[in-house]
Amino acid sequence: MADTPTIGQASAVILDRGYRSYHGPRTGRRGAMAAVVKEGYRRVLGLRRKAKRKIFPWTLIALALGSAAVLVAIEWVSSTLPISLDTSDLFPRYAGYFDFISNIALLFAAFTGPQLLVPDRTQGVLNVYFSRPLGVRDYLVAKGATFAAVILSFWLVPQLILHLGYAALSPAGFLSYLGETTDILWKVPAAALVYFTMHGSLAFLVASFVKRVGAAAAGFVAVLLGLNLVALLLQETGLAPGARWTALLAMEQHPRFVRDWIFDLDASITIPAQAGFDPEASLMVVIGCAVISVLLVGRRYRRLT
Amino acid sequence: MAHGTATVVSDGPTGPRHTDSPIIETRDLHKHFGQVRALAGVDLSVPPGITGLVGANGAGKTTLIRLLLGLTAPTSGDVAVFGAPVSRDAAGLRAKIGYMPEGSCLPRDQTAADFVAYAAELAGIPPAEARRRASETLFLVGLHEERFRYLGDFSTGMQQRVKLAQSIVHDPGLVLLDEPASGLDPAGRDQMLEVIDRFRGFGMNVLFSSHLLDDIEQTCDWVVMLDGGRLLRSAPLDPPADGAAVSVEVFDDPLPLVAALTAAGIEVTHADRVVTAVSPTEDVFVAVRNALAASGSSIRAMGADLSSLEDVFMAATRESNG
Repeated sequence: MADTPTIGQASAVILDRGYRSYHGPRTGRRGAMAAVVKEGYRRVLGLRRKAKRKIFPWTLIALALGSAAVLVAIEWVSSTLPISLDTSDLFPRYAGYFDFISNIALLFAAFTGPQLLVPDRTQGVLNVYFSRPLGVRDYLVAKGATFAAVILSFWLVPQLILHLGYAALSPAGFLSYLGETTDILWKVPAAALVYFTMHGSLAFLVASFVKRVGAAAAGFVAVLLGLNLVALLLQETGLAPGARWTALLAMEQHPRFVRDWIFDLDASITIPAQAGFDPEASLMVVIGCAVISVLLVGRRYRRLT
Repeated sequence: MAHGTATVVSDGPTGPRHTDSPIIETRDLHKHFGQVRALAGVDLSVPPGITGLVGANGAGKTTLIRLLLGLTAPTSGDVAVFGAPVSRDAAGLRAKIGYMPEGSCLPRDQTAADFVAYAAELAGIPPAEARRRASETLFLVGLHEERFRYLGDFSTGMQQRVKLAQSIVHDPGLVLLDEPASGLDPAGRDQMLEVIDRFRGFGMNVLFSSHLLDDIEQTCDWVVMLDGGRLLRSAPLDPPADGAAVSVEVFDDPLPLVAALTAAGIEVTHADRVVTAVSPTEDVFVAVRNALAASGSSIRAMGADLSSLEDVFMAATRESNG
């Protein structure tokens, strides 16, 4: 009688193949940069890390998303009330929402920037990166792209929830609301980009020189808010020579000023506006900060390698 | 000591693996950092196999490795790996090279499997394949069971193995190991050297920097010696044939013994009061006994020449320093 393989034999699979040569495709620099972006995402969100690493980022994300959901819920409740209530004056929408979560977003940027740069440097992982087909520029571009994607998502996803929520609750109907507010589709991303450029460039700059994540995060917040305070004091006292120009030190205020310009809002309460500057000046400061940051961070990393 | 003779020529995706052509070549290589001379006129041709890179701290070992990776440019001279100048396409060459740094290079918050897979992706291996290869490579270095543990919880020995795994996970044609056995206990060192020795079977060439000369002797086919940025020696690491050499330490002047041995047609070297006699054809012990009797020298110690790599290194250093 011929031997018939049993079910167990027929379905047998060798699970451990041992170390073998690799003859498949190689993705080159682009693949390496994509890997850096993916790993950066995991790091800042605490994915594939211990549970305690997830607490801080996800708490901030929950606060940002939760606040948007609460605003939509309030809109829904007010729409069910027998009296007509214009909630747009009472609760923040779009431009106002940037202020509403600005502190949370600041903390998120303060945490994210150092997380992306500091551990690689202090734990020696740069030795691994730069022994691969990856240059300093590739590494920094990939890290910057990760930072931009994470921070812009942090600003934009809650805004999207707001937008879709308001559209769904609009008396004019979902599509009509979307049609009437098409300007939001460029204004909100443009404002988010300005916030990211300011926060991101400073956070990266501080993170590329400081050796601990916590210290870098604290340093970033201190620089941003400290300069605000210095600018405000110098403006109030008017003691410093060229006191008007010191208003440009108020780094935290520039994105607000530009955002109000984008949304056509009154921005007279910001420090640069009070010193008589135009929003274009604030935009130039934001761009200038980004350029200086890119140059200094690039120089720092070229020296490191 | 293993001696590989590679004869098969094959250009795989990671470059020449088994070839008679030199894997590493340098010509009149100089590297200065300001006033500091790290390498001075190094001419090198390293054949396939496992090569030891020996030198004291500051000898230029790490600088040479960085030049091979294209991470720093030479002040003058040429560097080529797999026959291609490093300056032409350093990033492309790095895809074919693995590197294990001496210092820490592991993120504490990642698991071994995640990090080694990430290292593979950084070298251009697609993600799914990278995960498979990470598992296989960690199995090779003896960390299969621990692969899902966080690197921050690993012992020094385990971390060294992960560092080794990340250097070979992308199947490089050349692996540069900077002090791979550093910080390991004797058992861990032996295991590490055993794994490195197995790289021959995968067609990998290895340049293995160490100040532990025993490790080099145990593992390598070829040795490159550097001292103060100069090349002292680049040669095969051949063991002395049993009984072919005898060392004698005398109490007084060694020259009469040297003269007697030379007169008997024996090849002699001496350093201080230690005389080493070498002859592949005659019984050296008999020749030394006769020469001792003829010269009237008193001996302090005598035995089969156990000339270690350390002796060779010290002799080369003395010779180089005049």
